[in-house]
Amino acid sequence: MGRRRRRRRVDPADAARALPEAIAALSQTLPAGPSPETFRRAKFDRPEAAPAFWRLLFCVLSPQPPNGASASFSPEAQVRSVKLALRTQGYPRRALAQLPDDGSQGGRELLLALAWLLAREPLPERLLAQNRVQLGDEMHVCECEALASPGPPAPSVEADGCVDIRHLQWLMGKLRFRWRNLMASQQEQCALLGKIHSYTRGCHSDRSLGHLSVTETELLRDPEGGRQLLRRLQRENARLQAALEWRRRELVFWQWMDTVLDACPPEASQPTFLPRIPTPGAGALEPLVRELQALQGELREAVEARREAWEAGVGGRGPEWSAVRTALREAVGQDLAALRRACERSGSLAQPHGPRRLVRTEAGAPRGPGLRAPEVIEALRSREAHLEVVLRRLQGQCRQELARLVGALPGLVWILPPGR
Amino acid sequence: MLLAGSSRRLVAELRDALDSCAERQRQLERSLRVSRRLLRAWEPAETLAPEPTPGPETNEEAPSAACAPSPQDLKELELLTQALEKAVRVRKGISKAGEGDKAPSLKFGSIATSPATRASAPPSTSRRAGSRASETEPPRGIRQTRVPAKDLPEHRLLSVGDQACMGQGAGATKPESGLRNEQIVLSAASQAPEAFTLKDKGILLQLPEAFRKASSRNSRLWAQLSSTQTSDSVDAATTAKMQFLQKMQTTSGWPGSRLSATEVEAEVRHLQKACLLLRLRMGEELTADPKDWMQEYRCLLTLEELQAIVGQCLHRLRELCTAVVEQQLGPWPEGRFPRASLPCGGEADPIWSPQLLLYSSTQELQTLASLRLRVAMLHQQIYLEKVLMAELLPLVSKQEPLGPPWLALCRAVHSLLCEGGQRFLTILREDKPAD
Repeated sequence: MGRRRRRRRVDPADAARALPEAIAALSQTLPAGPSPETFRRAKFDRPEAAPAFWRLLFCVLSPQPPNGASASFSPEAQVRSVKLALRTQGYPRRALAQLPDDGSQGGRELLLALAWLLAREPLPERLLAQNRVQLGDEMHVCECEALASPGPPAPSVEADGCVDIRHLQWLMGKLRFRWRNLMASQQEQCALLGKIHSYTRGCHSDRSLGHLSVTETELLRDPEGGRQLLRRLQRENARLQAALEWRRRELVFWQWMDTVLDACPPEASQPTFLPRIPTPGAGALEPLVRELQALQGELREAVEARREAWEAGVGGRGPEWSAVRTALREAVGQDLAALRRACERSGSLAQPHGPRRLVRTEAGAPRGPGLRAPEVIEALRSREAHLEVVLRRLQGQCRQELARLVGALPGLVWILPPGR
Repeated sequence: MLLAGSSRRLVAELRDALDSCAERQRQLERSLRVSRRLLRAWEPAETLAPEPTPGPETNEEAPSAACAPSPQDLKELELLTQALEKAVRVRKGISKAGEGDKAPSLKFGSIATSPATRASAPPSTSRRAGSRASETEPPRGIRQTRVPAKDLPEHRLLSVGDQACMGQGAGATKPESGLRNEQIVLSAASQAPEAFTLKDKGILLQLPEAFRKASSRNSRLWAQLSSTQTSDSVDAATTAKMQFLQKMQTTSGWPGSRLSATEVEAEVRHLQKACLLLRLRMGEELTADPKDWMQEYRCLLTLEELQAIVGQCLHRLRELCTAVVEQQLGPWPEGRFPRASLPCGGEADPIWSPQLLLYSSTQELQTLASLRLRVAMLHQQIYLEKVLMAELLPLVSKQEPLGPPWLALCRAVHSLLCEGGQRFLTILREDKPAD
């Protein structure tokens, strides 16, 4: 006791206040945050704390913004959804799965789940960023949204009978048409954005931005909407402030969570159930395995062919050869270092990520902070070229395969459409 | 004809693609509507359609009307405010006496001739209007007039704000006459100065003070949030968090490092990207033309290195497979949780506030946007191509009868798979020449 007092001038009243204040900051920054008193009740597993925590976890874990959507979920549905989400993320404690679906129990377990989520990632910041008030005109420069779509689609199609291939052709044509429309609309939107940005140059109080965005101009045109935007902005500011408070004070929360975990009875070490069949995830891995194997096969062939050619041809050249070889090996290693890193470390992409606010500058203006459009265009062009190569290769494979399948037939002449 | 199983999947995938396209289109349409509206002349009020009312009112207004610099705007502002205050009084008078439109026009004329007494008018009006309408709105509208309006946007804010007040006040009694009063006032006000267009007067715009403050506070807070990643207290908290997680793991009774479904998915996506990158690099090496023996050897080394990397990826993928198979799911509910929006920027230190993308001409912006769409479209096309290949090629090989239906199928499959559904090949049957 005396030692602690000498180390820090903390008086007991402050220490006692620190935890509720930390929790208050946390619950202000989260959507639907319960009061510090509810947190305390949850530690002792009081039943009245449970519903608040189910609601909180539901708001935090559901993918859609927590405005009106949660109203459509019944409490049982919310409970099930929370359980599913936690399991998907790998929540380790089984006790949560065993809680009743009516949401009447489990305060302490839910508190542990919340702490688990908070410990694994910067949850308040991520939630705030997801529901951020967008003041600028934004564009994503990465391809994350493009790659997000593939996945087993919901089998809610009414085509339970056989489908004519002409229906597929029709759908493909419709898709092409939609893309063309999309391109045209996008061009128009860019033209309009360009105009708005140039007409309002010099109007923004922030010099680095220079001009107004559509949202900001809109709030000038429609004051009522502007007032709503302002209110949303102010609410977000309050939550941001609370998040900063939380970051300053969270240590005492973790010390407290330690005691909460100690208060729990230990779980059985042996699972008492049979393993289920593999999740659909295992099926999704098969195509990727095949692809990588195909790639490996192609590389093996290429390497063997070239090595043979090399051995048969010049081969090693005298004494300087080993030095040259080492140098070349190093050079290749460096060349491929970035690629190797990208393949090895999960989730690390050397590309810029996230949405970016569009800012129109004069061509000769001094370079400010931010990504410049010509660079992004370059990157996108090379991406486009690469992807076209991949597509052509796939189509070529199909052509070969089809030729093989029909080639054996006599008496037919196949006239291909005029190539590009 | 297609088998039921594969057709379901194909149609579902295509419908999925169509839906995501439609969703993008919807979002674009929304943005387009807003932008188009901004570039047209700004209406003074969205809710009321100003009726053209010729006659003495506009003439009265004309001398004071000007479509020029700020002092005139100020004057307009005064007149408009008084006219609106008058309209409230008049409407009250009308609702009591049940008169027609005559009264407003008379009163209106008197407004124009007496532009003074701004100070005296507001309090009385506010009291009167406040007694009927909500307490806060009219005083707020009037109070705004005290702030000297330097520029047009606050003028706009005022006029519409007052409309909103008046509109609410008039809600209970005689809406038509009240509306028409406002319309008269509005049309006079809007006909007198030129309608505001962004093109001509955009430069005059200025964001309201409250908004500016909130917005700069917002960016400051976001910046602070991004920068609190490194400090002593943060490190202590990070250690505490790690310890907590470990303790959770050890007390839970599960075996140690288990992969969650989310992690598996993320890993799979990562490996897919890696596969694409590796394939692209291999393509580059294979199409390169080595000019001398050094380049040749270098090419060989590169390919060997790529082979090694692919081997490692395969190894990791196989580990994933076994982990997934061995996972014991237990009493958790079945099903897959709908994947949230992809955590963009899943690296170590995400920057939370949006950064800038600078462009210098509309052409550049259009090129950028169209390339983005093109890349997204190519991704989708590649995905669909793989799906179609997987479903359609077996179909062609399985079908035995080699009559016309099979030929038609081949032709259709070829077009879908090899030409993106855009072109068709022709099949000619060679007949035996008659002897």
